[in-house]
Amino acid sequence: MRKKLLSMLLCATMVATMTTGCGDSSGDNNGGSSDSKGSSETTGGQGSNAGGGSDETVKLTLWGAEEDQDYLKEVVSKFESAYSDQKFDIQIGVESESTAKDTVLTDIEAAADVYSFASDQLADLVRAGALAALDDVSEVLTKAEKTLDDVKSANAPDSIEAASQNGKMYGFPTGGANTYFLYYDSSVISEEDAKTWDSLLAAASKGKKKVGMTLNSGWYNASFFYGAGFKTGLNEDGTTTMDWNGKSADGIEGVDVVKSMLDITSNPAFMPVPDGQISNAIASGDLCAVISGAWDSGNAEKVWGDGYAATKLPTYTLGKKQIQMAPAYGYKFEAVNAYSKNTGWAVLLAEFISNEESQKLHFDMKQQPPTNLNVLASDAIKQDKAIAAATSEGDIGVIQAVGQKYWDTTKTFGEMIAKGKIKAKDNKAIQKALDNLVEGVTAPLS
Amino acid sequence: MKVKKMKDKRTSTIIMHNVLIGVLAVIWLVPIVWLVCTSFSEYTGINTSTFFPQKWSIANYVKLFHPDTVAQFPQWFLNTFIVACVNCVISTLFVLMVAYATSIMRFPMRKPLMNIAVILNLFPGMLSMIAVYFVLKTFSLTNSYAGLIMVYSASSGLGYLIAKGFFDTVPRALCEAARIDGCSEARIFLQMVIPMSRPIVVYTVISSFLAPWMDFVFAKMILNAGVSSKYTVAIGLYKMLDKSLINEYFTQFCAGGVLVSIPISILFMIMQKFYVEGITGGAVKG
Amino acid sequence: MANETKSTAAEAVSGFFKAVGGFFSGFGTAVVKGDIFVKLSLLWWGAGYVRRKQFVKAFIMTALEAAVILFTIFFASQYVPKFGTLGTVKAEMVFNIDTMKNEFNDYDHSFMILLFSLFSFVVWFVAIVVWMKNMTSVYKLQLMEENGEHINTFKEDIKLYIGEKFHITLLALPVLGIVVFTIIPILLLVFVAFTNYDQQHMPPSELFTWVGFSNFITLFGGGGLTATFGYSFVRVLGWTLVWAFFSTITTYIGGILLSLLLNSAKTRLPKFWRLLFVITIAVPQFVSLLLVRNFFADNGIVNTICSNIHLTGFLQDIGLVSTNHIPFLSAPGWAHVMIIIINIWVGVPYQMLIATGVLMNIPEDQLESAKMDGAKPFQIFTKITMPYMLFITGPALVTDFVKNINNFNVIYLLTQDVYTTTNQALANSQAQEVDLLVTWLFRLTQDYYNYKMASVIGIVVFIICAVFTLVAFNYMIGGDKEGTYQ
Repeated sequence: MRKKLLSMLLCATMVATMTTGCGDSSGDNNGGSSDSKGSSETTGGQGSNAGGGSDETVKLTLWGAEEDQDYLKEVVSKFESAYSDQKFDIQIGVESESTAKDTVLTDIEAAADVYSFASDQLADLVRAGALAALDDVSEVLTKAEKTLDDVKSANAPDSIEAASQNGKMYGFPTGGANTYFLYYDSSVISEEDAKTWDSLLAAASKGKKKVGMTLNSGWYNASFFYGAGFKTGLNEDGTTTMDWNGKSADGIEGVDVVKSMLDITSNPAFMPVPDGQISNAIASGDLCAVISGAWDSGNAEKVWGDGYAATKLPTYTLGKKQIQMAPAYGYKFEAVNAYSKNTGWAVLLAEFISNEESQKLHFDMKQQPPTNLNVLASDAIKQDKAIAAATSEGDIGVIQAVGQKYWDTTKTFGEMIAKGKIKAKDNKAIQKALDNLVEGVTAPLS
Repeated sequence: MKVKKMKDKRTSTIIMHNVLIGVLAVIWLVPIVWLVCTSFSEYTGINTSTFFPQKWSIANYVKLFHPDTVAQFPQWFLNTFIVACVNCVISTLFVLMVAYATSIMRFPMRKPLMNIAVILNLFPGMLSMIAVYFVLKTFSLTNSYAGLIMVYSASSGLGYLIAKGFFDTVPRALCEAARIDGCSEARIFLQMVIPMSRPIVVYTVISSFLAPWMDFVFAKMILNAGVSSKYTVAIGLYKMLDKSLINEYFTQFCAGGVLVSIPISILFMIMQKFYVEGITGGAVKG
Repeated sequence: MANETKSTAAEAVSGFFKAVGGFFSGFGTAVVKGDIFVKLSLLWWGAGYVRRKQFVKAFIMTALEAAVILFTIFFASQYVPKFGTLGTVKAEMVFNIDTMKNEFNDYDHSFMILLFSLFSFVVWFVAIVVWMKNMTSVYKLQLMEENGEHINTFKEDIKLYIGEKFHITLLALPVLGIVVFTIIPILLLVFVAFTNYDQQHMPPSELFTWVGFSNFITLFGGGGLTATFGYSFVRVLGWTLVWAFFSTITTYIGGILLSLLLNSAKTRLPKFWRLLFVITIAVPQFVSLLLVRNFFADNGIVNTICSNIHLTGFLQDIGLVSTNHIPFLSAPGWAHVMIIIINIWVGVPYQMLIATGVLMNIPEDQLESAKMDGAKPFQIFTKITMPYMLFITGPALVTDFVKNINNFNVIYLLTQDVYTTTNQALANSQAQEVDLLVTWLFRLTQDYYNYKMASVIGIVVFIICAVFTLVAFNYMIGGDKEGTYQ
């Protein structure tokens, strides 16, 4: 039996060889193999296979963060019943909004039809042509008995502004207050202590605990500079602008900001937490205060129990002044892939995920801060400590518009401060580091 | 003979000798012990304060077999097993076929082909990955196990050198005799050389079976639809250590690691004997 | 010995060209001296076989020819003409409310143009070889007929493929796999190194095009603001070589020492001990290395223990550590040493297995006579064991070195997401102190879509490996042992 199988296999191999080349002798044994492909697909990307009648099953892929999976399942089933005359096959995949860009840009055509992303990725995604401009497809919203203007007016104006570029809207806002603020343990730190870094660190060292913050990320460390009136911006060609090595609009020198940061990091009660390790650090119980976002509220509450409290970012000392830190403030959007095979339905699904009912559900299930004005006005939202702290930063927060080159360079800059690679006394070294930083951030894209 | 020698030695040096090995073994095993211990921890995140878990539990293993949206361990295991089996068959055939052709047979293009193989092996595999991805995409084989299997097995012929080294030790006179008797090359290959080369066959089978269990780079690239139930064990476990998940899943990752390691270890134990014979066989017998 | 190798290498090269030359002259003879059917075969591949009544072969060749022509008309013609520009039409889309779909114009996809042009070139190359080979074989048939020799039936032809042409049967599929999954991808990325395929020019929305050698100039220090590529390249290359050297040597020597230790007559339960060491490599690397990385994390368990036993404080006092933890994997220097140590942990058991196999075969009489002469164990090690090991495993040492240059797993798993460089020049070109060329290349493609620079780096890696292998094999080890053992 086994022999028979083997000889059959051998035959198959031989036939393959014969057909791939005349096979008279050596050399040519890696023959054609070719023709089957010409007919298999007219590649080169005509996506125009027409005829998407309503009796055809619509296939969609939806990406969302891991912790949102059960929420998305529920929303999808609601979506399917809302459009019950159409058959759907909707797959939900795991892709966090914080990393969506990396995965999408690897191969836009293979990315999900609908995915969520954080607002700082908007510029890169738009430039790569990965997002469908909603203004161009807004017609389809009539199926949901809405117009794009209805969507715009239903959500916080800032969120709509953050979703727009060059006058076009590129995503449905689904989550707001994507920012960070101060969590603290009120049994160690009083409400008054939480207002400035100096008192915060003093109280922490008295309580033999530490204050944690991530410095090696341009998302966090920019808050010192934004507070002092420094700016970042995005040019049309995708390069970033930055003025941190000079003087800010408020007349503050960048060098002095760095010195203030170094004063904080050199305090033994301060603990620099590497990017992404915050949740771990909170759970370890060594901290009495930490700068993080709404996603850590559960962690903080578990560790500190009744002492759990949250408020806006503290001020820091610069010379004789107190400067209010200004966080990077962002949103989460639901995007429609420009290369989706079912753009229309993808738009409807994305819109559905961002509507009032879904946002309310998202808050109830996952404490996700909403952008929908009606949901924002509800009592439940107002009572949530973390969301209250986050939304209280609405007026000091800065919508961070930066390009690709920003992240690695600021990450390294933050790491230098966290590790004490530059000394507070060495003005020249600080200025040099800032100059390097600005040069790296503003470099043309390669 | 050994016994005699040992009697001459002073017992103290023997003890010292074995203690030294023991110390080394302990050093080597510390992380593994930590892996096993942590997998039995009740806490879900990384335990940073004590080596042994504060509270023991088998909850992590129980959870692994009750899939949620992240961890679908049984499904991953099955996926990987299927990929591994098919890959094993194709790769083994390819490797042995190439090895036989280059070792036992003589034909004009033999040397040039072997030289090309040497050159190809010098290119970093990471570089061709992105191109391989697009090749698969044109055949719409991304997000399919067929594509993954092709990536693992299609170029496996390049890894023929160890098997060739082994076949080189098969006495040529034997093959000549068989040819004079009128045996076809196919019969020499299947009925003479393969049965004589058990160590290298076993080595090839097991090592190609193990490849899909170890690889996470190619798998991550090809199974990119983000659908957890389609993952292989390696990507599934790798994703558990994502920044946002590590606190909930670290100990499950450890439990998964232990479970994967058990069958692999057993295969590895079987293989190591043949590994040594196969790898050194060619050189040593000469 | 070196000369000998060179001469065989030269022979191989000249032999290759002779074969190619013979191939062309065979083709020429066939065209000139063939009868009308042979000449007709230039146009109709099957003609010669029809004349000799080999109808199955004639059919196969005709079908093959038709396939190549169809391929050229319907497939290659879409892409190859655009190869010079890599496309000019950008994607534009219009939403069609009736079909609920986006409709695209007939746009160009630069990468697909590159890939399919290359694919067409490969197919055409093979087709030309087949065509020429076909001519010589139909001419051979003509001669055979003229001499009244027996002409094989199709069945007899098939039989050849398990007989003297068995190597073709054996090699067909593996070679096909290698062509599609290794050669085409490599050629493709060699081409990409001469384009501007990066984040600014990413298909499908944008086009990329040829830029000549400018990417190479960027890497070697030219090119304005991105000059840090040159700076980073030197540093990454330096560490790559240091790493490859130390990781190869440490595991090699460690493996031999461990195997001597385990195989010594003084060892009790050698099998048990060996099992313990092998367990560490049986755990998949992505598990064991990710675990070790958390083990040595800045706030990991080892750091907790070190600070509990006041080791951290001691290191702070003597100035080795400036932070309140030991930066095992997060500061340059520390991380470099730790990575090599951790690599010893995963690498030594492998080498131990190999060394065990080799050592068991050391000629017993040599050892005995050395002992008789009163040689100390250390002398035996340096005079007999090591030379023997080097003789047997020398070539493996060279390939290990090349493998370590490309050792992606260890570096990536230990440093990805946890190591942050504090060198701003490195950061500007997305490199880190602990990067190997391959991990840098990987990050450039995965996070920055800088395919052009990644391809350039890949080519450089290849050149380094090739030069090293060539030199090592020519001057250190000396040639092909194949013949010696048969």
